[in-house]
Amino acid sequence: MGSEAVESILETLSYSVSGFLLQGALAALEIAVIAIAAGVVLGLGLALMRLSTFKPASAFAWFYIWFMRGTPVLLQLVFLYDALPPMGLKLDSFTTAVLGFTLNEAAFCAEIIRGGIISVDRRQTVAAAALGMARFLTLRRIILPQAMRAILPALANQSISVIKGTAVASVIFVNELTFRSQQIVGQNFKFFTVFAAAGLIYLVMTSVVAGLQRYLERRFNPEIERKRIATPVPDEEPEAMDWRTLIDAKAPAAVQDPAFVVCRDVHKSYGPREILRGIDLSVGRGEVVVIMGPSGSGKSTLLRLINHLEHVDGGEIVVDGKHVGYESHTDGRLEPVRNLAKARAEARIGMVFQSFNLFEHLSALENVVEAPVQVYGQNEVEARGRGVRLLSAVGLGRHVDHLPHRLSGGQQQRVAIARALAVSPKLMLFDEPTSALDPELVGEVLTAIRHMAEAGMTMIVVTHEVRFAREVADRIVFMDEGLIVEQGTPEKVLDRPQQERTQRFLRLIERPAKH
Amino acid sequence: MRLRHAIGACALAVLFTVAQTSAYAAPACEPENLATKYPKLAGKKLKIGQDGESAPFSHRDPKDFNHLIGLDADMARAAFACIGVPIEFTTGAWSGLIPAAMSGQIDVMWDTLLYTPERAKRMDFVAYMNSATAIIVPKGNPKKIKVVTDMCGLTGTANLGTTQEAMLREGSEKCVAAGKKPIEIVTSTDMPAGLRLVLNSRADASLTNKFVGDIAAQTTPAIEVAAGIVTGARIAVGTAKGNDDLVKAIADALTVLKANGEMKKIYEANKVDYDLVTEPEILTK
Repeated sequence: MGSEAVESILETLSYSVSGFLLQGALAALEIAVIAIAAGVVLGLGLALMRLSTFKPASAFAWFYIWFMRGTPVLLQLVFLYDALPPMGLKLDSFTTAVLGFTLNEAAFCAEIIRGGIISVDRRQTVAAAALGMARFLTLRRIILPQAMRAILPALANQSISVIKGTAVASVIFVNELTFRSQQIVGQNFKFFTVFAAAGLIYLVMTSVVAGLQRYLERRFNPEIERKRIATPVPDEEPEAMDWRTLIDAKAPAAVQDPAFVVCRDVHKSYGPREILRGIDLSVGRGEVVVIMGPSGSGKSTLLRLINHLEHVDGGEIVVDGKHVGYESHTDGRLEPVRNLAKARAEARIGMVFQSFNLFEHLSALENVVEAPVQVYGQNEVEARGRGVRLLSAVGLGRHVDHLPHRLSGGQQQRVAIARALAVSPKLMLFDEPTSALDPELVGEVLTAIRHMAEAGMTMIVVTHEVRFAREVADRIVFMDEGLIVEQGTPEKVLDRPQQERTQRFLRLIERPAKH
Repeated sequence: MRLRHAIGACALAVLFTVAQTSAYAAPACEPENLATKYPKLAGKKLKIGQDGESAPFSHRDPKDFNHLIGLDADMARAAFACIGVPIEFTTGAWSGLIPAAMSGQIDVMWDTLLYTPERAKRMDFVAYMNSATAIIVPKGNPKKIKVVTDMCGLTGTANLGTTQEAMLREGSEKCVAAGKKPIEIVTSTDMPAGLRLVLNSRADASLTNKFVGDIAAQTTPAIEVAAGIVTGARIAVGTAKGNDDLVKAIADALTVLKANGEMKKIYEANKVDYDLVTEPEILTK
């Protein structure tokens, strides 16, 4: 018995290195590699079409995927091979197999890639848009690297199943591994050793895929990539910094410009819901305006309209004398421009979000230099130098190489501030920058904002921090139900509110000050 | 005497004429006359489709897997050498051969293809032998199977879509008509798979082409051929419709090979029963 087993093993091994079977393996591998490579490229296109708001494109992609996924590849191959010749298109076996599997893989890869893309938080896209990053730049630099973690395991599964799945191509005369092993069995009936040998060869081929998957997963794992710890940069004493130089304020606060930001009769609705019902607001250069008001009053929406993250339905907004991303038609109507990302980049409006929205796969410093290098084409070394100084200024010199999830909420928000400052903004928008923070972390973020205010940055801050508003704001605007209810100096609005709604709101949020 | 001479002379003349005529009628291999005999084949290289996995008809040479041998491979080589057209073998799964022949992806399917009137609507055939079926059982034939109707209540296997499958279904109906249990029919994708069902006692018998079964029994000691049945079905070479020169050339070549004894040699070399050979016949309906 023992010697028989040894004989079987030896026979299996000798079959597994037979040129006849290895040629079949090569055929399977060639088809699979081309099909997966081309399938990924086509699949990316299909995935984007499927995600597109352009209905015909998404409908086409849906139909294609539905059809290719829903019909057996064996029948598709026979169709391509045997039904096209009467129509005058005669493809050879290999071409047919490559074409058939590619068309099929495109459908499967499209869904894998789409799954990866939608697994990435949508707020990442919003943050990129606020930095002036264009759609494809965002896709390439922000979305896909994060999507890879979801895409890779599924893609490896798919690649392995294609390598094995090429066996069905024997029906169109591709002499791949399984068919060749069947032919040997048809001649000598030694199915056990021959099929074991074929299995061994498949295992070797699929192991290569598994290895590649492991390598790529490590490459796209930001944790592993960043094992190297850069030398920490000592935090500079914030007071010692010259914030005015640092934030690169384009014009000193002394220059009087009462109409740096002008909103005229601004309207915005989401479906039937009217969010803004005619906002008129002017912000002077160097002025710090704090917007307060109950949730749903339209504060955040107003900020998103100012840097054109969303279109204005009615009225107009002018920043530094220009419409951000609108062009006037001959009849005076305003139309959004085609290249909105470029318009946003040119406007240089920095934005800080309630939920930080840092790019999760990039370190603190990489978050900060992303837009200067990728959008504004700055020299990377210079951008990094300035990035380190900005991070030091917000007290994060020791954390430049840390990934966002390693940082506390307050630290993340300070990185977000440094990131917004890195593009030398003319105007800063803060959308409830401390609302998501634990109370003890609020102070560090407000300190950074205070420094900017003192350095002369023009800012619009949506916040509920009454004490901060009192200290920093030149003017407080109180909004409710899509309208400005009242506005004026902090003393006027906070201490002697005229409107009943303002009074009621202030009574609700007044609480013992913590900072 | 004169009369006898005259009769003798006449007889000689008749004999001579007959000899002349028969010498003229008997076709010969004239590869050099390809262009005049079959003008449409001139300058072509034909693709011969085979599956390469059914000994003794089309299978891999154990000494060199890259070489195709077997009755069908040898017959195709001999026939097209006689015609004078170069060929190449294209191997693929049997189920893909018929659609490929119909669509012209291969020029000729030469792979134990059975002629049926249904298939003749889409293909032309040159039939040249009768088909026979073997009943493969475990060594010693424990269930004592001699004919298909011995399998009532037992499990039988055959390749999907073959005459053997039809034979099992017909036998099963006879079982039921005789008040017995039907045959449990399991279809296989290829012959070795059916053989494995018998080896693993998942099926009591496997019906397959007689010669394929004979070879299998020689190489696999655990089985035997319980019975051989000549079915009357006709094995043929198939081509797409509309290749009149090609069909005629194949029929002519097979006639020559049968007449000059070369066909018999090929059958003997591949251990296939030469008695099954019939006169080549073109079947287009």
